[in-house]
Amino acid sequence: MTLRVRALQLASILAALGAWEGAARAGWVDPLFVPAPTAVAIAFARIGGAALAALADTLGKTAVAYVLSVVLGVAAGLVVGSVRLLREVLNPFVIALYGIPKILVLPWIVLVLGFGAAPAIFYGTIHGLFPILVLVMGAVRDVDRTLVTVARSYGATTWQLYWKVLLPAIVPSVLAGMRLGLVFCLLGVLVVEMFAGVRGMGYVMSAFANGFQAPELFAATALVSAASIAIVLALDHLNEKLSHWRG
Amino acid sequence: MTVLVRLALLAAVLAVWEVAGRAANPLMAVPPSAVLPALRELLLLRSYPDLPASLLLTLREIALAYGLAVAAGLACGFALGMNRLVGRAYGPMLAALYAVPAVVWYPSLMLFFGLDAASKIAFGFLLGFFPVTLAVLAGIRQVNPQLVTVARAYGAGPVRVFASVMVPAMLFTLVGGLRTGLALSVIGVIVGEILGSKRGMGALINHAYGLLRTADYVALVLMTLVLIVGSDALASLVERRARKWSE
Repeated sequence: MTLRVRALQLASILAALGAWEGAARAGWVDPLFVPAPTAVAIAFARIGGAALAALADTLGKTAVAYVLSVVLGVAAGLVVGSVRLLREVLNPFVIALYGIPKILVLPWIVLVLGFGAAPAIFYGTIHGLFPILVLVMGAVRDVDRTLVTVARSYGATTWQLYWKVLLPAIVPSVLAGMRLGLVFCLLGVLVVEMFAGVRGMGYVMSAFANGFQAPELFAATALVSAASIAIVLALDHLNEKLSHWRG
Repeated sequence: MTVLVRLALLAAVLAVWEVAGRAANPLMAVPPSAVLPALRELLLLRSYPDLPASLLLTLREIALAYGLAVAAGLACGFALGMNRLVGRAYGPMLAALYAVPAVVWYPSLMLFFGLDAASKIAFGFLLGFFPVTLAVLAGIRQVNPQLVTVARAYGAGPVRVFASVMVPAMLFTLVGGLRTGLALSVIGVIVGEILGSKRGMGALINHAYGLLRTADYVALVLMTLVLIVGSDALASLVERRARKWSE
């Protein structure tokens, strides 16, 4: 079964590429808009160095935004989730902020923070923060009360309660949030680069689109997609290792 | 009690905004007291006479994008869910594509479909398509296989089985995916409009921001939020109805 699945996957990718190449060569699609895969590969060789530099720029901003959103999201989720009054008051606000499209405040963020790396990092952070916050808040709320009671009756301090009981108990949710948050952070950074960037992959892609450089645009899109799939798969792999280790 | 605290919190946020907004550069930030007159001007169609046309256009784009996403998501989920080999081959590929921040596709869509409504519809479709498809796939796995066997034994074909047995049995999961799909289609259309458009709510927002008409910008964002929250409220109403019916 696994072999047949792999064969089917490979065959369909090759068939799709072949059909695409054939359609482009036969002139069924306009090469101005849909370039052939070979043209995309050639374009990739041409833009490779510059594209990798832009990708590094984007990933650097994403990394900063990601660290910020994980730290802030887990810390705020722990505090808000464990204090009942805070949780009940803030929950609808957090859900609402999570749900609304943050792009509506993007023009204002750019207005205040300018066109450099700062708006990208800020916007990436608020994008990644909310999924983590929501998951952690829910997980802290659902931690088994007896764990807390036992720790308290053995004289655990508040610090120990958070560090030794609550935090280990919510590790699976934190990991799930980290996976979701990563894609959100990258999305946020790319959106800012497209909207108001002067560097980075989002800017490069919109510049290619505005210049009708379809082969270069397709190559850049493929590069970013491959990078984000690779990062998410690596994170999944790490998750699996960690869950083996936790037993 | 919690409601009172919530209201107090909202009032405090508004008060801080008012104080900070008065102190800040009026091009950068405006206090709520300046937004209200702008909102009045907007609703009386003085500042943006083409507001109704823009709202209508954005709504039409959302409706088309969502309609296409639901149709394609159901069809695709059906095709992947009914055949084990096909599902195991293409399911992971779909999940991998879902891990790519969707906005990387937007420049290509803009190149392909142009600056008008079509590229926004395509992007809203793309965002809404994934949750619907994945909900169908998850739902099909939950359906009791005995129901399917009995229906088959009585001579029902695959389409009949899907429409008459599976959809009712997995309605609970399906409506959740349909609601997420709507929220994402709405976000897709609005992100598309803000990243580049000539008409629609996003174009108005960009216009107000570009001219530093910050009060008008905030008023337009509030109008767009009403549209978003309204669509989600409608979806949640339908969701609750469907869940009640399926129980």
